[in-house]
Amino acid sequence: MPETNRPAPNPAVAGFDELFSSNMLIVTGKGGVGKTTGAATLALAAVASGRRTLLVEVEGRQGFSRTFGTQPWDYTEREFRPGLWGASIDAAESVYEYLELFYGLKRMQWVMERSNALDFVTTAAPGLRDLLLVGKLYEIEQRRRPDGRRQYDLIVVDAPPTGRIIPFLQAPEGVTEIVRVGPIRRQAGQIKEMLTDPGRVQAVLVTLLEEMPVRETSEGIAALRSADIAIGPVLANQVVTPRLGPRTLQTVMALGAEGLRERVAATGARMSGRTAELALELANAHTDRVAFQAGLWAELAEGCGVPVLSLPLLTGATFDAGDLDVLADVVALQLGEDGPRATEELDEDAIAALLQRSGAEVGA
Amino acid sequence: MSRASLDEARTHTFAEAIAEAHILVTTGAGGVGKTTTAAAIGLAAARAGRRTLVLTIDPARRLAQSMGLEGLGDEPALVELGDDLPEGGELWAMMLDMQTTFDRLIDRHAGSAEEARSIKANRIYRTLSSTLSGTQEYMAMERLHELHEAGEWDLLVIDTPPTRSALDFLDAPNRMTSFLEGRLLKLLLKPGMVAGRGIGKVVGAGATAFMRVAGRVTGMDLLQDLATFFRDFEGMYDGFKQRAQEVLELLRDPGSRFVVVTSPEPPPLREAKFFLERLEQEGLHAAGVVVNRIRPEVPQDPSEAALQRAVDELERADDPEGPASAAVLRLLNDVRNLAGRQRRDVTAALYSTNVDTLVEVPLLGGDIHDLDGLGVIATTLMTGRNG
Repeated sequence: MPETNRPAPNPAVAGFDELFSSNMLIVTGKGGVGKTTGAATLALAAVASGRRTLLVEVEGRQGFSRTFGTQPWDYTEREFRPGLWGASIDAAESVYEYLELFYGLKRMQWVMERSNALDFVTTAAPGLRDLLLVGKLYEIEQRRRPDGRRQYDLIVVDAPPTGRIIPFLQAPEGVTEIVRVGPIRRQAGQIKEMLTDPGRVQAVLVTLLEEMPVRETSEGIAALRSADIAIGPVLANQVVTPRLGPRTLQTVMALGAEGLRERVAATGARMSGRTAELALELANAHTDRVAFQAGLWAELAEGCGVPVLSLPLLTGATFDAGDLDVLADVVALQLGEDGPRATEELDEDAIAALLQRSGAEVGA
Repeated sequence: MSRASLDEARTHTFAEAIAEAHILVTTGAGGVGKTTTAAAIGLAAARAGRRTLVLTIDPARRLAQSMGLEGLGDEPALVELGDDLPEGGELWAMMLDMQTTFDRLIDRHAGSAEEARSIKANRIYRTLSSTLSGTQEYMAMERLHELHEAGEWDLLVIDTPPTRSALDFLDAPNRMTSFLEGRLLKLLLKPGMVAGRGIGKVVGAGATAFMRVAGRVTGMDLLQDLATFFRDFEGMYDGFKQRAQEVLELLRDPGSRFVVVTSPEPPPLREAKFFLERLEQEGLHAAGVVVNRIRPEVPQDPSEAALQRAVDELERADDPEGPASAAVLRLLNDVRNLAGRQRRDVTAALYSTNVDTLVEVPLLGGDIHDLDGLGVIATTLMTGRNG
């Protein structure tokens, strides 16, 4: 029986300190790959490592409040678990805050709301909406506690998908093209400085091990790199746990559906011939899928030049916030840190597969 | 209309919609397979003998990839289908270019060539299509209308852009015209013009303050450009508005139907539900729901407890068949759990919504990137059966 909770032999990412070496992680990826799950997982791992963490949503989807079962999130940062704060920021609120901060214009608010002038501010001026959101992230990153330490050790942002991430992050530059003077221009420069400092901001891409998402991940990494944004590890989401390799498959195929049915029946379990046949079909498709996945994993690891961390496809009958804690510990294990909730909840196949990915050979 | 149960909806297919509709719009959250579904519908319609055009607006050129076509352009191109199609069956595809469509719209509505040139040269105009929310959707609908008017196709299948929310799409025409109508913007730019009328002086004063701030915050160039832009646009609002109205009417026609696409995960399912409700409110016609990439259903024998006991016992067996059988049982259990979870999520999300047709497309081995793969999905959409 393998010792499953030992640290990975040569973790691709050396511990929490390397994974969380920047002040902010910008989590992006193709639509539907699980950016929200990825961001929540990273935030929970950061909390487990003792970091004061803020989880931020920028597209108003209320993905986190649903996942964590809290009241809807808003502009106010609230601690919803010990050491973990959450906020959902939007451009309109940022405008009010900005105008108030720089111009003491509280009374503007009602005029704007009544007249929908906000549409002007947030849509007519190219990229201004994105600039305001990125500006808000900058403001949070800048904030200090009375003792001079940063307010949050780590800020995790559930950012727009890869298709929109570059215009989002480059909004400051876009605005400087149009706006030639004024405080926005000055601030844009400071925001860019933050975004291009690997100690302050890194992008994390979430992907599925499927062709299109993997391709879009490589393209996204290239685009982010040319925008001078540092790339953290890639998170491969919904990785299928290998249940049987080619050799085991051969054994069961030789056994056949009838053989399998008899074998199972001998233990006292009742299985119909139809289910046994389906089980063999599934076994065939599964080994294909695992091989396909391994190929894409290698392509990803080689092609993007950053470490790849795996989040297993959890096969429990339900998926809830507790599963995010398991995923957070799965990340921890791959960093060579402790991950008690993962070792408790996942079976050996899953843990072994995760740790093998970080170094050792893949079994039969 | 009676509210069909989901089980009943599962027995219906898209065959009728594909044979009868003139416009099919695929919609849903990002990453659920809208483009692939649109392409598969197009293929199914061509096989059913209809001259079909699939329009995509996705900048990732996924349709081109999924049809094995590279460099799909702004004009319709015939897709070479190997098999023998019935008389009249053709599949065409095109990529929608937002800027070209917008430019054409300006040309059509501008008072003079000079005015059109001035607008197209404006900085605000050049960036509008990427920044004003709803512009992409509006332009897609505009082009759809244009192609429909041309009357060259039996069926137009359109893939909607990956919006933040699928609902943006329906609001686009209104949003677009109310923005372009720009009463408020005109007010902001020339507050004197409307002083004393309707909204009154308070807003006028607020607007002046707003413009002062905006000027200081942004620099004056932007405001100058905006003023020019709206001056040039002045004469075109009515044309735009009327066009938007026509587009909405076209979408409300019973010949136009919406195919709501989702994956079996809760967030896209939530969007699918909202979208179905919204269609009903707006008097638009839903053709049904496609759930992509769902795991196959697994029979409930052996029971979970019996399966667990069998795994424990077989694992300890000292021949290779024992542990191998245990591995297969574990896999069976994984798939059964997932399939069960996905079906429960689908049923819960669609509870009490009016769904007439529900087709579940199983998770296939690899990605769909060629006509063979699309053909498999096309068959499922037409017959409800896989393979």
